[in-house]
Amino acid sequence: MDQLTRRSFLARTGAGALAAGAAGAALVTPRPAGAAAKVGEPAPAFTAASTSGGSVSLADQRGKIVVLEWTNHDCPYVRKHYESRNMQGLQKEATGQGIVWLSVISSAPGTQGHVSPGQANDLTTKRGAGPTAVLLDPTGAVGKMYGATNTPHMYVIDKAGMLMYAGAIDDRPTSRQSDVPGANNYVRAALQAVSAGQPVKTPATRAYGCTVKYA
Amino acid sequence: MTRLASRPGLQARLRRLAALVLAVGIIGLAAVPGAARAAGAPAEPKVRVDLLSEVGAVAPGATFWVGLRQRIAPGWHTYWINPGDSGEPATIEWTLPRGFQAGPVAWPHPHRIPLGVAMGYGYEDEVVLPVPITAPAGLPPGTRVTLEGRASWVVCEKICIPEEALVALTLPVGPAAPDPSGAPVVARARRAVPLPSPWPASFAASRDTVTLTVAAPGLAAERIAEVWFYPLRWGAIEHAAAQTVEVTARGITLRTARGAAREAAEAPIDGVLVITERLEGGPSSQAFALRVTRADGAAALAGPLGLWQVLVLALAGGLVLNLMPCVLPILSVKALALARQGSGAGATTLRWHGVAYTAGVLASFAILAGVLIALRAGGEQIGWGFQLQSPWFVTLLAYVLFAMALVLSGLLSIGGRLAGLGHGLAARGGYAGSFFTGALATVAATPCTAPFMGVAVGFAVTQPWSTALLVFEALGLGLALPYLLLSLVPAWRRLLPRPGAWMERLEQLLAFPLYASVAWLVWVLSQQAGPPGVAAVLAGLLLIAFAAWLHATSRAARLPWRRAAGAGAALAVLLALAPLPLLSVGAPAPGLGAGEAEGGVAWEPFSTKRLAELRAEGRPVFVNFTAAWCITCLVNERVALRSPAVARAFADKRVAYLKGDWTRRDPQITRVLDAFGRSGVPLYLMYPGTGGPAAGGEPAVLPQILTEGTIVEAVDKS
Repeated sequence: MDQLTRRSFLARTGAGALAAGAAGAALVTPRPAGAAAKVGEPAPAFTAASTSGGSVSLADQRGKIVVLEWTNHDCPYVRKHYESRNMQGLQKEATGQGIVWLSVISSAPGTQGHVSPGQANDLTTKRGAGPTAVLLDPTGAVGKMYGATNTPHMYVIDKAGMLMYAGAIDDRPTSRQSDVPGANNYVRAALQAVSAGQPVKTPATRAYGCTVKYA
Repeated sequence: MTRLASRPGLQARLRRLAALVLAVGIIGLAAVPGAARAAGAPAEPKVRVDLLSEVGAVAPGATFWVGLRQRIAPGWHTYWINPGDSGEPATIEWTLPRGFQAGPVAWPHPHRIPLGVAMGYGYEDEVVLPVPITAPAGLPPGTRVTLEGRASWVVCEKICIPEEALVALTLPVGPAAPDPSGAPVVARARRAVPLPSPWPASFAASRDTVTLTVAAPGLAAERIAEVWFYPLRWGAIEHAAAQTVEVTARGITLRTARGAAREAAEAPIDGVLVITERLEGGPSSQAFALRVTRADGAAALAGPLGLWQVLVLALAGGLVLNLMPCVLPILSVKALALARQGSGAGATTLRWHGVAYTAGVLASFAILAGVLIALRAGGEQIGWGFQLQSPWFVTLLAYVLFAMALVLSGLLSIGGRLAGLGHGLAARGGYAGSFFTGALATVAATPCTAPFMGVAVGFAVTQPWSTALLVFEALGLGLALPYLLLSLVPAWRRLLPRPGAWMERLEQLLAFPLYASVAWLVWVLSQQAGPPGVAAVLAGLLLIAFAAWLHATSRAARLPWRRAAGAGAALAVLLALAPLPLLSVGAPAPGLGAGEAEGGVAWEPFSTKRLAELRAEGRPVFVNFTAAWCITCLVNERVALRSPAVARAFADKRVAYLKGDWTRRDPQITRVLDAFGRSGVPLYLMYPGTGGPAAGGEPAVLPQILTEGTIVEAVDKS
């Protein structure tokens, strides 16, 4: 009788253990698709073609603060910041402090904002812009990695490669130039905080602007 | 020209002048305000706006609604107050005559506009944005007032164009009268504005997901085509993420990706829940304004990271279960047996006993979880609720706990055949005995730990089956742990006290927490089923006690008496169980009492007899067929049927109001629905009276989406 009960008992516990194991395996819930780079986590690494020939890789910028600016020169919201010289001023301020400023164009060919390297360089000169480099991302791979939804969409990455700010350039989500002077510029605030080694007060905001014209 | 051409200097000057004029002209055109155009954009605006009014004349001191109508070019869209991932909502800057005040836009619920990887919330084709305007009291009659506004908005297709336009409306001052063309348009727009939600909602946020739970019992899942939650602000949830929706008997559960805002898990989430219901005329969307607060307790621990915390809690809970009055006696008996065995059997055998016991507990909990999951899956079809919110469950639990308390008090002994089943199995020697003791401990633990298990059950039913199973197994492990440890660690066995009379007294003492649980359950039932429910359960408890006494006293008697007593006890138990099906009706349909006023309109329950009586009196009759699961009906009642204008119209023409509740598929109502070619609700009928234009004729069938205006119109025609 003992042997019988031992076998049946083992069978029962074995079945129970199997059920529990299967349940545990089934538990692994996948991260929802489309989860973009999150503030407080390492910024996704990428390499993209620059308009001056060659390519720029984020990993090479380790040790420097990096600003990513998604742009589309025809978008009224981008024009608001360029025509008011707000963006150029911010770029000069940043690059003057040794911060790397990368403007990224993720418009697909044939869509609003898509430019050739030559055209992009022309725009930079004409507008007096001062980014460290302008990157072309026509497939949208880099944009989707960062979850860039609008232009302008701004990201600030610290010297250790951690994403410290993601979102809008400031708190006035309009396309009116009159809204630039009084606005609270989130990027400037984030750069100041990151340079001083302090936590960023507003690390994530809703980016406003035109949608990125992905492929 | 020949003469001019012969002067080379003048020609050059003329050319320069022409160039200058051209340049000035181009610059001038570009500088025209309001012509903010993207490069290459067409000159024709994508949105034509105009202002409509619901009233034909402005009464002094009155508040009336105007609507800004946007007629949008095909393929283009404008935005809601929360535009989603991009865009801006429309704004209106009013220039009103002195004393007039304009309120904020009452936004009709939006639609989803996918924009590649992003999501916008807005409107396509046509939308009317209602705005309330209040006129000052001292308006001189006979004059005319002009309301002006500058509307600005962003209209997008693949690119976005900011546009603006001036709108104006001139109205005479006089007694309020509806504007025949504007009133229905504005009423339809206001109908699409979200209603304050009649149901409470809570959310739980994990690292990556947010789960919204709307406590809307009694909804019919097959009627609901779609549910979507539109947050009012960015950050709480991802606009572009899919929303997984489950409609169960308890309500709506919506799971989606968490947004990027840091405080997404703390602050309440304001938003609009849009439920699209399948009506006979096609789908109809109803919108509810929700303020979703964070849920506390076990439900707040959903998600992969929270799972470990939940399992630890479940383990601790299982440990606590050992102290429960039902489990402790069984355990103490077994532990004492263990103590006795300790001197005899070897350590290995005892260890295996402990493992067998644990296996029994785990297997029983797995079965329990399986039953629960199956019931939940099946219950959704039947419309059950397997938790303390069902009156029948509460009553059954009260009976079981009462019986167990009687056992502990010594007034009922589980002897004879019943013992042979339960204790006999447990009393079997060997590992099988330990296994079945484990099973018995689980079974005994289940009813009397119901209040505690209720939390685990409540949590488990909101989770996928794998999580629910793990939670239950953790609970079981906690339950089995003390005995398992005792069997594994010989040293601790010495701590067990020696058996004695104290055991019996302890058992009797432990009966009282069980009686207290019964008292608590009766209180719960009083909340759910009212005084009739309390009377039913108290009578049932009395019958159970009587059955117990019959069983106990007849044990020593002769066989015929035993049989009679057994039959009597069985009958008493059956009588106690009799009211249960009636209690299972669940939440009573809203306002079943006759004559209950709904914001001023008193109604009577529908019956064909009453309808005939009222028609014989010559009164017009308004019939409203509704059901507890019909969301469109709910919104119609709140928006249209409770308005003072409708109450006045009903009173003026002596319209009788009959309400037919079809929640339980009343056959009388089904016949009337069939007569009108309908298979479902809502159905609104206006039977004309003898004094009106349509005297004695066929009843008018009103549209399924009601506004104040449609009812008043129907009353006028009756």
